[in-house]
Formats: sequence, structure tokens, C-alpha cells
Amino acid sequence: MSILLDRNNRVLVQGATGQMGTFFVEDARKYGTTIVAGVSPGREGTTVGADVPVFANVRIACAETGADTAIVFVPPALVLGAIIEAIEAGCRLVVATADELPVLDTIEIRAAARANGTAFVGPNSPGLISPGKAKLGFMPSFCYREGNVGVISRSGSLSYEGAKRLTRAGIGQSTVIGIGGDPVKGTTAAEALALFHADPATTAVLYLGEIGGSEEIFVAEYAARADAKPVAALIVGQTAPPGKKMGHAAALIGSKAEGHEAKIAMLRAAGVHVANGAGEVMAATRQALANARTANTKDA
Amino acid sequence: MMMLEWKGKRLLASAGINVPAGVVIARESSIGAAVAEVATFPVAVKAQVRSGGRGKQGGVRRVDAQADLVPVVQAMLDTSYGGELPDAVLIEPWLPIERECYLSVAVDGRAEGYVVMYAPRGGIDIEDGPPPARYPVGAPWNFRVHALRAVLQEVESDYQWREKVVVLAQRLVRLAAMHDCSTIEINPLVQLSDGSAIAADAKIARDEWAHFRNDEIRQMREADRRRADPLLRASLEMGHMYVRLDGDIGLISGGAGMTMAAMDMIAAKGGRPACFLDASPGPTSTRGYRPALAMLDADPQVKVILVSVFGGGTQMQRVANSMKELMAERKSSKPMVFRLDGTNVDQVPAILDEFGAHNHATLEEAVAEAVRLARSAT
Repeated sequence: MSILLDRNNRVLVQGATGQMGTFFVEDARKYGTTIVAGVSPGREGTTVGADVPVFANVRIACAETGADTAIVFVPPALVLGAIIEAIEAGCRLVVATADELPVLDTIEIRAAARANGTAFVGPNSPGLISPGKAKLGFMPSFCYREGNVGVISRSGSLSYEGAKRLTRAGIGQSTVIGIGGDPVKGTTAAEALALFHADPATTAVLYLGEIGGSEEIFVAEYAARADAKPVAALIVGQTAPPGKKMGHAAALIGSKAEGHEAKIAMLRAAGVHVANGAGEVMAATRQALANARTANTKDA
Repeated sequence: MMMLEWKGKRLLASAGINVPAGVVIARESSIGAAVAEVATFPVAVKAQVRSGGRGKQGGVRRVDAQADLVPVVQAMLDTSYGGELPDAVLIEPWLPIERECYLSVAVDGRAEGYVVMYAPRGGIDIEDGPPPARYPVGAPWNFRVHALRAVLQEVESDYQWREKVVVLAQRLVRLAAMHDCSTIEINPLVQLSDGSAIAADAKIARDEWAHFRNDEIRQMREADRRRADPLLRASLEMGHMYVRLDGDIGLISGGAGMTMAAMDMIAAKGGRPACFLDASPGPTSTRGYRPALAMLDADPQVKVILVSVFGGGTQMQRVANSMKELMAERKSSKPMVFRLDGTNVDQVPAILDEFGAHNHATLEEAVAEAVRLARSAT
């Protein structure tokens, strides 16, 4: 299994006729994603990726094609409206990879998603991929293979790097989800952990985090639970100076607790297998997996 | 993006929040004429900089007489605070302070939106005291007077003051949402001897991504870029994100997490990164990488340049071709190390080969090579 995404998601692409939308439709279909519709107001009646029909709005697209999942490729000023449209049309999963989205818009989208029971992944995120099944994002497909490690990442390219290292080492992934680098998130680390916890195909979790923000507190809280699945983690930003924003809006050390050392100590104390740098991601994940097997043996 | 105090106070005043009546003396204006407007003493003279910790660096001074004002203002304009020369000074009446408190509204991930924070004791040492009380508001329209009142009851015993704080907080939340502020901090929020409240300082951060719907934010972004030196400005105009560090390995990378992972690995292998440079938000073409490379080439601190990009939507053969083009026009002979990975990476080695460069297969290899070259350059 996987979380949120598999071959059964019927995906509609908002902003499908733009450069990114067109590239996504081709690339994601090649991977196996079921793409059923595009939405581009004014371009209805045309097609993208040879045969995917384009509609004027999300409601019509859902009614005509049974779409239940949306991914959004529109300029930042239009993201809020596009996602609210998808949520109100009844989509169960909405993904926004866009960066440069005002945080107030994310706050509004998150509130609307919760009120409607929609899962929202993003913004400022690579999206998510369930290897061997489907992907919603631009992640390089060769970095992934199907398996039982759930991966949560605050950073896009670091999730590619982490997944590739796992894949090379023969460790497959159930789902790799990019929760994004902004302070307010559609799906938080805690929520992604809850989904992996409930997924029987996920036996361990790899968390790729950063300095700044409070996300790691919830990873530690989860890992400390008696029934937790084993967690491995990499926290980057050991060499980042305090008080400077490191690209991501949330990657800013505002207090000691948000620094590298404090986060590592907190995660270790909770029983997380912490990698000492990107080079140790496989080793830490292997430890978590070994830990999972021991736990299973005990249960049996 | 931080607003200067005097501009922040103007924003607070627009929402009916009491601020001191100040006189602003801009760097380029005539100090003598401006100072003549100040009639009552003592006054507080405050350097207008965006960085924090000004108070501890002498950026706030009390002046008791007209005659002392000009030299103090002049000296302050000539001093840099946290590496920043003040744009202006603000002169305000010295306040009859009964008590200093702390009040802020900020974006907070845990709150899924805004959080209100209040401490009954504020001032410059706020970090040393107990953490402020938190009221997680979430979306701005979820602010509830009774919910904040309940939080404040735990920490603030003066019920009249509590009610003032509740009203102020409500205005701040609304102000933050209307003007795309990610933080509004009033520290200290001063209780005067007559019991009234006044914002003695204002630290307001604006959300730069709201530039398309807020002209003030758009102008702040442009002013930020104008303040940068021309080489950095060219890179910022491409959407790149840059933080200067004190090492000698210039790092051009893509994605904040990947860039930090590379920085950390450089340090782990005994090297020192010269910068955080995330070039992914911009156009990832020759046009995008050119200013980043020019900046690092011109920086005497940089001995080696490491290009480490792991692209998804960014196709690596395009990055490799950009590098080929840039190497052909490049004058600098600083050594370059490449590590490109991701979408279409199979096409990369042949392209790099055309200009005699090698693509390292792993971050470890590339970083080790960059560290080795940096050592032999010094």
C-alpha cells in the first residue's frame, strides 16, 4: 500500500496547458499516474498529452471524468483560487508544488481543506510519489523503487537525494511525501506520520528535516510513542548561521530549540535513528528497519 | 522583510494603535532643520535599522537638551548596527514608563496560522524570561476575544490592562492579515503612568511573496535589491537566495535542503562553505546561472566553486549545457567541481566532457574534491 496516492487516484491538472502542466502530464503518465482531465479556463475543448481532455472548470472536469485528485500549476497569484475551487468541487487530495505563495493564502487553503476533509500537500513542495504506482510532482523517477519505507521531506531536492540513496541500497519506499519548506503546511510532519502509521505496508519512516520551525518536535513526539513505527532522520543545516533565512521561509533558526544541535538531541532522546549527514541516510534507515523486524518478532 | 521602526509605527497608527509622536530624520535631510522641530525634552534617539539587537549596541540614546541632539544624531547616522548603516533616526519623547510588556502576532506552523504572544514583562531581555503566553488563533477570522482573555487571565492580573491588550491583539491580527505581515512585534508595549498603552517599538516583517497584491511590499523588495552590491543584485534578480558565510568553497546548488546538506558535508570533510546559494527558484538556464557564477568568481574569499544540483523539474542536460556555455565565456581560472544528478542525468557526462569537466557521481566525491582543491589553493 501507500499513503494518499496510488494508481486509483483520478488526477486532474489545473493549469494543464502551460509549460509545466504539459511537461507534468507527459512525465507523470509515463510513470503510471492516472491523469483524466486538464483544467484551463478558456482552453476547454482542447487536449493535453495527446488525449487528455481540457475543461473550463474543476466542477465540470470532475463530473465528466470522475477526477478526485488535483495538482495545480498556476502562477502564485492564482493558486489560492485554484485550490479552493478543487476543494469545493470535492477533490479528496490537492497538491500545490508552487513556491512563492503568500502564507496568508496557505492559511486560508489549509482551513478550507480541513473543513471539507480534503488532504492538501504543499505549498513549496515537490509533491508526492508512491513508487511503482503513481507520482504527483516532477521527481526524477529513477531515484525511487517500491518498498516499505515511508519518507517525509521538508525539501524537494533533498528528498530526491535521500530516495536515490535508499534505492541504490536496495531499500524501497511506500510513499515519499514532500511537506514543503513553508511555516504553514497543507500536510504537516505529524499528519504525514499518522498516515504512515496507519499504512500496513509502511514498516519504518525516514524523516528529512531542517533547522528552524517546530516540525521536528512532533516527529520526536511520535517516535517516543510505545506503538510507534521506527523512525530514521536527517536534519540539515548544521552549518547554517542563526537568524538567517536559508532559502525556505521556515528554515530560520529563531531560538536555540530550532538549531541543529537541539533538534538532533531531541530526536535521539525519542529513539530516532539520526543520520550524521546525507552520507548516513541508508545506515540510519537500515537501523530503523532492523528495529522494525525485532519488534515484529517480539509480537509473534 | 523587516520594516523600519518608524514605518512600522505608521502602520500601527493606521489601525488605531497608540504610538509616540516621532520626528524622522532621513540620512539625506538637513539634521539642523529637522532637530529644530523637537521642542520637549528628554527624548529617545533611535537608529532605524532592520537588524535586531540595536538597543544593546547603543542604537537607542536618551538626550536631555537641544544642544546635544545634533552630535548624537550625526554619530548615530555614522555608526553601523549589525553591519547596517541606519537609513534614518527617529526622535521620540522619552516615555514615563510604568511597566514594559511584550505583545506580538506571528505566523506559526503549530497554530496553522497566526499566534498571539503576550508577556507581562517585556523589554530587551525578553528571551531570558519565561516564554510568553500563547494564544493560537489559526486563520485570522478565528480570533476570539474570550479565548485570548482566558489565556491572558493566567499571566496578567490587572484586568483593565488585560482588556486593553485583548483589543490591541485583535487589531494586530486584523492588521497582519490585511497587510500580509508575517510578524508584528511590540516590545516593549508600554503601560504609561496613567494606565494607557503605547507601542514604544515596532518590529514588523512583511511576507515578500505578497508583492503581487501589495505595492508597499513590492517597493520593499526592490529597495532590498538596490541595497545589495551590483553582483549580488544581478543574482537576486534571478530569484536566487544567497547567504554569505565565511569559508572558501563557493557553493551553487538547488533547493534549500540540498544546499544545506552540501554545506554540512563540506564542513564534515574539513572544508568551509563560502555561501548558501540556492539557484533553483530562478530560470535554470545560462541566464540564471551567469550572475551566480560571476558573483563567486569576483569574490576573493572563494577559492573553489562547487556546482551541486539534484534536479527534478530542472532537467540536468539543460544545466550541463548552461555550464558549457558559461565556461566558454568565463575569464576566471578558479577551479570548478561539478556534481549534477536528477532528471536526464545520463546525458550529462558527455556534455561536461566537451569542455573537459568531470561529473562526480556522488555528493561525497564532489565535496571531497572541492575540499582538496580549496586546501591546495591556500
